[in-house]
Amino acid sequence: MPPLSILLWLPFVCGLLGALASAVLARGGRTNAEASAGDASAASGRGAWGAPGVVALVGSLVALGLAIAYIADYKSGGAALQHVTDTVWISTLGIHYKLAVTGLNVFLLGLTTLLFAVATLAANLRSWERPRLFYFHFMLAESAVLGAFLAQDLALFVSFFDLMLIPFYFLIGGWGREPGRIKATIKLVIYTLVGSLLMLAAAIATGVLASQQGGGHITFVLSALHALPLSSGSQEWIFLFFAAAFLVKMPAFPLHGWMPDGYRAMPIEVLMVFSGVLSKVGAYGFLAIVLPLFPQAAVHFQTLMLLIALASILYGSAQAFSQTDARLIAGYSSVAQLGFITLGIFSLNSQGAQGALLQMVNHGLVVAPLLFIVGLLAKRTGGSEDVRQMGGLAFRAPVLASLFLVVALATLAIPGSSNFVGEFLILLGVFKAKLAIAIIAFSGVVLASVYALRLFIRAMHNRVGPSADSHEISILDGAVLAPLIAVIVFLALYPQLALHRSERSVKAAVASVQASTVPAQTVARVISGPRVVHRSATFADSVRTP
Amino acid sequence: MSATTYGWLVLLFPLLGMLVTALGFRSLPGRSAGWIATAAIFLSFLAALGALIKIQGLAPEHRQVVSSLWSYASTVGIDAQMSILVDPLSVFMILVVTGVSTLIHLYSISYMEGDRGFARYFSYLNFFVFSMLLLVLAGNFLLLITGWAFVGAASYLLISFWYRRTTATSAGIKAFVINVVGDVGLVLGTYFIFKHTHTLDFLKTFQATSAGAFGHASNEGDLVAGCILLLVGAFAKSAQIPLHTWLPDAMEGPTPVSSLIHAATMVTAGVYLIARMHPLFELAPAAQDVGAVVGAATLLIAGTIGLAQTDIKRVIAYSTMSQIGYMIMGVSVGAYAAGLFHLMTHAFFKALLFMAAGSIIGAMAGEQSLNRMGGFRKAMPFTYGCFIVGGLALSGVPPFSGFFSKDDILLVTGERGGWHWILYVAGYVGAFLTAIYTFRMIFRAFHGEPVAEARELNLKSHPPHLHHAEVPRNPANGEEEDTDVGFPGPTHAIAERALPMRVAMGVLALGAVGAGLVQIPKVDFVIDDFLRPSFAGSALYEPHTKNGLLVFGLGLGTVLALLGIALAHRIWVVRPGMATSIRERFRPAYVLFVNKWYFDELIDMLVVKPAAAAGLFARDTFEQLFVDETLIGGTTGIVRAGSAAVRAAQSGFVRYYAALLVLGVTGVGFYFLLQT
Repeated sequence: MPPLSILLWLPFVCGLLGALASAVLARGGRTNAEASAGDASAASGRGAWGAPGVVALVGSLVALGLAIAYIADYKSGGAALQHVTDTVWISTLGIHYKLAVTGLNVFLLGLTTLLFAVATLAANLRSWERPRLFYFHFMLAESAVLGAFLAQDLALFVSFFDLMLIPFYFLIGGWGREPGRIKATIKLVIYTLVGSLLMLAAAIATGVLASQQGGGHITFVLSALHALPLSSGSQEWIFLFFAAAFLVKMPAFPLHGWMPDGYRAMPIEVLMVFSGVLSKVGAYGFLAIVLPLFPQAAVHFQTLMLLIALASILYGSAQAFSQTDARLIAGYSSVAQLGFITLGIFSLNSQGAQGALLQMVNHGLVVAPLLFIVGLLAKRTGGSEDVRQMGGLAFRAPVLASLFLVVALATLAIPGSSNFVGEFLILLGVFKAKLAIAIIAFSGVVLASVYALRLFIRAMHNRVGPSADSHEISILDGAVLAPLIAVIVFLALYPQLALHRSERSVKAAVASVQASTVPAQTVARVISGPRVVHRSATFADSVRTP
Repeated sequence: MSATTYGWLVLLFPLLGMLVTALGFRSLPGRSAGWIATAAIFLSFLAALGALIKIQGLAPEHRQVVSSLWSYASTVGIDAQMSILVDPLSVFMILVVTGVSTLIHLYSISYMEGDRGFARYFSYLNFFVFSMLLLVLAGNFLLLITGWAFVGAASYLLISFWYRRTTATSAGIKAFVINVVGDVGLVLGTYFIFKHTHTLDFLKTFQATSAGAFGHASNEGDLVAGCILLLVGAFAKSAQIPLHTWLPDAMEGPTPVSSLIHAATMVTAGVYLIARMHPLFELAPAAQDVGAVVGAATLLIAGTIGLAQTDIKRVIAYSTMSQIGYMIMGVSVGAYAAGLFHLMTHAFFKALLFMAAGSIIGAMAGEQSLNRMGGFRKAMPFTYGCFIVGGLALSGVPPFSGFFSKDDILLVTGERGGWHWILYVAGYVGAFLTAIYTFRMIFRAFHGEPVAEARELNLKSHPPHLHHAEVPRNPANGEEEDTDVGFPGPTHAIAERALPMRVAMGVLALGAVGAGLVQIPKVDFVIDDFLRPSFAGSALYEPHTKNGLLVFGLGLGTVLALLGIALAHRIWVVRPGMATSIRERFRPAYVLFVNKWYFDELIDMLVVKPAAAAGLFARDTFEQLFVDETLIGGTTGIVRAGSAAVRAAQSGFVRYYAALLVLGVTGVGFYFLLQT
């Protein structure tokens, strides 16, 4: 297998190459154009299927191929890091450039590269102003996301996490839709920057505090930090800082204020990856970083996090079945779905975490086609994404309707879909941890069927809407949806493929939390005698039961 | 081939049929999609017969065979395989499902002939059959839930088949959402059971249960909770009170769909579920009692509503609810074989009644109101005959099939003694109501003065004219509609003109007449004997029949059915004005029945309206005030200032300065924080 750095930086390099190469080509084209006829050259530089777009597409496809190879090559026997790249980056600060494939990120790599590949294809179907810059930022974004998933060093993770913000800032600010583009950009930046800075401080504090425990030798490598547990007091405030950053990214209620404007403003191709992948970085951060490094804090704040997740589910669902903007329906449904994922992670047992991880992949796989379909619908209603303008679109578009139906059913996590397996595991985990929360969370399952079907029916069924003009999906649009739907169907038949590979790593991530209850038990025994010991012992048992 | 190989084939054929008709929807010529789909289900039926032969070839104690294709979700303590369980119970179900489905597919070829969604229809129908077979063959909870949800999805798709009718789409989403409530019950119930058994596999669950996973005393708390939650699933799927409101609305779908899904197969899934889970239910008598009482309440309430409805399909739909009430009551009191026996006979006669109703609706050009019908007896003799056969079987007149199966349920209920006598009496009251509403429907549609549509059919012109409405209208709301995709097609079919319809109805009529003969008290026990291996561990399976109760019950059933028919005849044929005077005299009861006991209004008030209001409040008030203004309000100033910067960042190199700035701040912050 090639080193991970190739997978990581390939998209960025392709974006850069595409920008540079087409700059050269465009200059050549311009001279030709001056010699021959008028504006053909302008179209060749700016129109669909320009050189930057094609180079980006090739790069994203190769990255996808590499990610599939890593999935195929993944050895599910243990939780050890695989394909490790480890070099010292900044030696005085103990920061390593350390990348690895784990059971936690292997399918997220697949998801990221798949969504970027189809989104790049989708982007190639239309022409962009300043295509070189557009694709450069787009590919930079892919590298940044891959970096965040691959990083095995806290500082490296933080760097990639912040790097993600930059291309998206430009993509929204530069290619966003009016009205509200500026407001959306600013809101997004403020929200995520606040989160990022908190996380930055928290990460530094983690390194510094851990070094005090470890004899003054500072390090940010995750495995080393894991061996140097912080005091529970430090864990708690650091946990909150990390949580703020991740919850904003997801987004979770009530930190989702940037989401409606951001979703409305983003070009749909950008939104596909933003909603499909970036939200997962937050959830992944909880699972891969927060639980192993701050286990006591995770236990301490478990109820708080579960309540935030529950609020996200209920609030997101209520919004999703009330909104009329199809894009926002998808957006709020993501808030609800990410709520389920958070719920699974903070059930703090292996079923919940395993379900959450599977659901991260599943949600990305359904929300991207859903958003793309919203774009297709808008093309059939004179540009409007308001469901009140739609209706009866299945009339002349049976194939589009069928594809939409598959996506809608997967979105509502119909049993038989991989989304259901994820939800089943998540809720089973919560059922074991906190019964009452699980029962309330189930109402989110019912509400999901309401908002997903409502969207489908109001767009595709009923009388033909006021500005609806139905026509069948084109082959190229179909080519964007086909791979996503193929993967949805495949995972529906064989979710074990993903479950099998992630099981050991998930157990390892959760094990640190479960282990953290053991010292608490001994401490309790020393301090306050048998009554407390009994209580914490039953708690530990309840977490541990398979 | 082994029994399980046949089991997989049973699943494979409908799946292939669905894919072929779906992918070939543009290229399949004429009615070939219909024939392909029908052939697929017929092959599945043959495979079911193969499974039957193989399973009977095994020793009775080995007649539970599991086969797993691959590991579906086997991780962190759960153990779901892609597995099927072939045993007498599942073989019984697949035979009924594939058998009746084949006939309904055949019927549909004519019935849906003029519809522009012909291939889509058959693709959905095959998908439904696949899902139903998956439900009954599933070897573990996860696959059961999958089949359970898939039949719900198929039901949704077929209810909304004429998707440009808003009445159809709202009926569809209602059915789907209520069924998701049922799914949730099923999943949560599974959790409660899994918590103790640590397995999702059926046979392992039952082994663990008998090994004492829930203790050896009955009514262990989690088990009762689990079983009651499973019942929630069963009630939603089988249209039992209070989760039944979707079923009458589901009559928006094409009539063969009502016949297949909302009469013969899907709605009986709850009965199957309780029978399948009997080792659990028998340890949770409290949950059994809940099932029995709800079943009895449903059979009575649905019967009374059936008396007052005027839509011919809704009358049959309420009758279905009522009959499933009998089955649910039966399997809840331990009358497993009787409940399943009634499931089978009901599948025959109720599918027949729906098909016959389809025929008369065809003659009425889509109109379903009994108020508009009348006098079709001479014009449609075959349809009339089918209605009479189906009606007699439904009313429980000997020797028609419903007589034996309904009586079997009530006999076992009566033998349980104690407070079960209340259920027993409710069952016979329900039987009386059944006879009245069934023959009210038949007399109103077929007797009396022929309506214009019937007179047109009676004319001796060649070929006699079949009425087609000049302007097609949605009978539910009078909306004008066209006959393109998403609406019923322009042509209509009646059994008298279409051979496939006649064949399908004829075969079912034979079943409705004769299927009861397989299990005549004191004579033969085919169903009892066949199903016994699936209920080997059951304490309730072998009832000790008391002759007195048996004879009394058979006699009472006969008398009540005949009395009911006679009463209906008197009210609606002999003295036509009598119906109105009775209605006036019992006004409050009539208002209650015609408004369906106000269940829709109640659910609307308690669930739908509050949820919608909460959603609107969140959207219009909360989101604006809290998220947009308060939380980000402190930063609106920054937003304004920043706007200028972003505008500048649109063009030129300012973008890169901004980028450098972000990176720079990050880097510097990093460094200084480290130094402190």
